Amino acid sequence: MELIVFIFLSVWLVLSVVGAIIVKNPVHSILFFLSSVLATAGVFFSLGAELIAGLQLIIYAVAIVVFYVLVITTIPWEKIKKFEGIYLGEFLVGLPFIIISVIFIALLINKYDISSIPVKVEITDNVTRVGKTLFTYYLFPFEVASVILLIAMIGAILLGRKEE
Amino acid sequence: MIIDVIIALGKIAVVLLVGLGLGAYLTWVERKVAGHIQARMGPSVVGPFGLFQPIADGVKLLTKESIIPRGADVPVYYLALILALVPSLLIFSVIPFGPSFTIFGKEIKPIISDVNIGLLIVFAMGSIAVYGTIFAGWASNSKYAFIGSLRKAAVIVSYEVVLGFAVLGVILIAGSLSTVEIVNSQIEKGIWYIVYQPVAFILYLFCMLAESGRVPFDIQEAEAELVTGYNVEYGGMRFGLFPLAEWYLNVVGLSAIAVVLFFGGWSGPNIFGPLSPYIWFLVKTFALVFFTLWLHWTLPRFQAKDITDIAWKILLPIALLNVVVTAFVVYLFS
Repeated sequence: MELIVFIFLSVWLVLSVVGAIIVKNPVHSILFFLSSVLATAGVFFSLGAELIAGLQLIIYAVAIVVFYVLVITTIPWEKIKKFEGIYLGEFLVGLPFIIISVIFIALLINKYDISSIPVKVEITDNVTRVGKTLFTYYLFPFEVASVILLIAMIGAILLGRKEE
Repeated sequence: MIIDVIIALGKIAVVLLVGLGLGAYLTWVERKVAGHIQARMGPSVVGPFGLFQPIADGVKLLTKESIIPRGADVPVYYLALILALVPSLLIFSVIPFGPSFTIFGKEIKPIISDVNIGLLIVFAMGSIAVYGTIFAGWASNSKYAFIGSLRKAAVIVSYEVVLGFAVLGVILIAGSLSTVEIVNSQIEKGIWYIVYQPVAFILYLFCMLAESGRVPFDIQEAEAELVTGYNVEYGGMRFGLFPLAEWYLNVVGLSAIAVVLFFGGWSGPNIFGPLSPYIWFLVKTFALVFFTLWLHWTLPRFQAKDITDIAWKILLPIALLNVVVTAFVVYLFS
């Protein structure tokens, strides 16, 4: 049963990621991206990581993707540059990076045994555990991250402000 | 194993049928309420008290000619319908309708899935519904529809933040994100959380109206300026589906969540026999739904620029203050 769910979600995830890369219309691409985010949330759910699944839905599927959607849908598509065949030069420049990342992923797969299907975690109080760990063991990195985000927010407001 | 699957499917079927049927009949309720508020009769011709009016409307909508606007993005045009309806239905999956009971030695919970993060699911689904609106407006290739959908996106983005912080107060007191646990903790303490969190309830009402696109926050509809907003290019039953999802399913779902959070869920005096908890739950939910309809037909509409101003400059600071004060009180007195 869990195997069927896992296979279904993984196939859905991989297909939507591939779709997001190969479709030409940007709005279709963002829809495929949204679908991949939903599939990821499903994978987290099926593995028992409920809190991360919920946060994945709220933060990625809504808060982040909605701004992509807002920007992409408001661009006047008549005026932009049209697709002109395969970008050969860009592909050749990108090729070394693709090879390196494939090698790294292959090394990781070799080092850790991730060939077996991830096991479902039998933890019921996800929220409590994450909260406790975050505010005790990882308190300092957590606070640093929040200060960085605060600075970024103030910076964004300052940049977006109209000059008086 | 197989029995569990059958029980789960049965629960889903009941909630789906009841939800969709309710959606149809709430149109009748809304028209009656609107009529009486405006000193009219409301529907009264088809059947006794106009009770068959929703069926007549449904037949009319289903038999209309199906039109797709020129230049529309057809797959996205249809996908938008699904994206609008499914999240509103999924909200019902975490609503507990009553306490668990036992049949033939098998414990049955009247909730489709009692996950530990029930409230997160509600927020997520409430916000995912925004994609139905945005893509409906974009795919119809129409200026009115597109302006309406962008307005809705702005409203959802602002009010979702306020909603999250407003509900945090209740979560802090109850100590859980699960809807069943929140109701149980209210029954144990013998008090409804609206007594502890009146500010949060008022904020929640604002967000509920904004998320379901009800007056005074219905700028995405705005008949006077935008014809009828994001769904103007849809015809027939496809046109009827957006109000069904947004105005009826969302309002009922969010009202039920409000009852869970602030009005003690299914708790109430045992005066209707074994069905008492369910009846109490429905009575409380529909009292809130009626309140929403009442506001809808009484108030005028805000301006588009005021709505986001209210959310970010007034409601969000109040919500943050509420969370901080609640956290201090909970820490000191428990």
